[in-house]
Amino acid sequence: MNERNIVLPGEQVYDGPRHMEGCYVENGKTYAGVLSLKMEDRIIPLKGRYLPKPGDVVVGVVSDERFNGYVVEINSPYPGQLSTRDTREEFKTGEVLLIRVAMVDEVHEAVLVEPRKLQGGEVLEIESVKVPRVIGKNGSMLQLLQEETGCEIFVGKNGRVYLSGGNTPLATLAILKIAREAHTTGLTERIQAFLAEGKGRAG
Amino acid sequence: MGGKTDKKLIENGKRWDGRGIKDMRPLKIEAGVLKQANGSALVEWGRNKVLASVYGPREVFPRHMMDPTKGIIKFRYSMAPFSNIDEHSRSGPNRRAQEISKVSRHVFENVVFLEQFPKTMINISCEVLQSDGGTRVAAIIAASVALVDAGIPCKDLVSGVSVGRVNGQLVLDVDKYEDNFGESDIPIVISTRTGEVLLFQADGMLTKEELETAFEWAYEGAAKVREIQEAALRKRYSEAPARD
Repeated sequence: MNERNIVLPGEQVYDGPRHMEGCYVENGKTYAGVLSLKMEDRIIPLKGRYLPKPGDVVVGVVSDERFNGYVVEINSPYPGQLSTRDTREEFKTGEVLLIRVAMVDEVHEAVLVEPRKLQGGEVLEIESVKVPRVIGKNGSMLQLLQEETGCEIFVGKNGRVYLSGGNTPLATLAILKIAREAHTTGLTERIQAFLAEGKGRAG
Repeated sequence: MGGKTDKKLIENGKRWDGRGIKDMRPLKIEAGVLKQANGSALVEWGRNKVLASVYGPREVFPRHMMDPTKGIIKFRYSMAPFSNIDEHSRSGPNRRAQEISKVSRHVFENVVFLEQFPKTMINISCEVLQSDGGTRVAAIIAASVALVDAGIPCKDLVSGVSVGRVNGQLVLDVDKYEDNFGESDIPIVISTRTGEVLLFQADGMLTKEELETAFEWAYEGAAKVREIQEAALRKRYSEAPARD
């Protein structure tokens, strides 16, 4: 990626007030607040912790049972809450769930609904800002990964990836490679080559 | 400061180590040196070597320190036992380390958007691996790079340098000898975008005119430091790392 495309905190990104992700406005001008990539009119943060947003589907781990529900750890500074009213199933601490964020309050605490137990697979953690690259345009990268490795893959918006069945080690290496090289171009081709080579070695 | 030496610290406009009056020691910064931390940086400034790490935002511990309106910063400055520490008594959480941790924390409380992360804390930890005067400024610039590397929203990078007076002459970027045998040592940390002063500690005596010049030099020095900080971050994110 071109060095000039990277903006750093305090750098002016727009000559006027504008609300953009990872930016702030001061004296009518917009400045970057986090290390980001500038592409035409968009600012894409390159690093940062996950903050839940309504509608996100995430992979969480049950961390506590309460009388009114469960506390679910979602790879964020803030835990999520799953109320017993929103589920008939029972969970134990340590279980992995695919779960949707329904609501987020002013201190970023999420109300979670529609849990689905994930069992028998593996969970991988990557940077949440790199999730769009793992999914690809219209899910192209994810489709490629699933087809080439035969894995069932769920990618949570919080940067947790659940893998089960198929060639899990190869899929894991490929996803880590995507995360490492997320900010480079021509990634799909390289991942395609990587998967082909990995499959050749195994066969 | 206050020590006595027979050695001339400034001769023919050259300092004892060969630098000119306004020359800084060579500065080298590398971002992302610790894989486990959310953000990290290694600063080598002359013979100073400081490693900074940033963890967070994460759950507050101990819980009673939690603030429901904003995040908190914990800053830990510490000198390693092998860092040539003899001048500053022993290693560990002594009076001096506590003071530096406190003033450095205030620097970052002014630039980090803490209100975006209520009920959390950000741990910044700076370990001085080798010291040769000016470690607090080195620690702060390292911490600033580590914070940005961690993706924590900040108003600006912070940069700084120390200015001192040696043999009646102002000098930029004071080293250990000049600090020990000179007359004054003033670390200055600023936000280069706005010019806001975030840290200013004055040790020793200066005239008003000298102080004004000192600030002028500090601004020039900080601008150079900032260039190196920015280059380190750009380098880290412009090339794909071979392995994590």
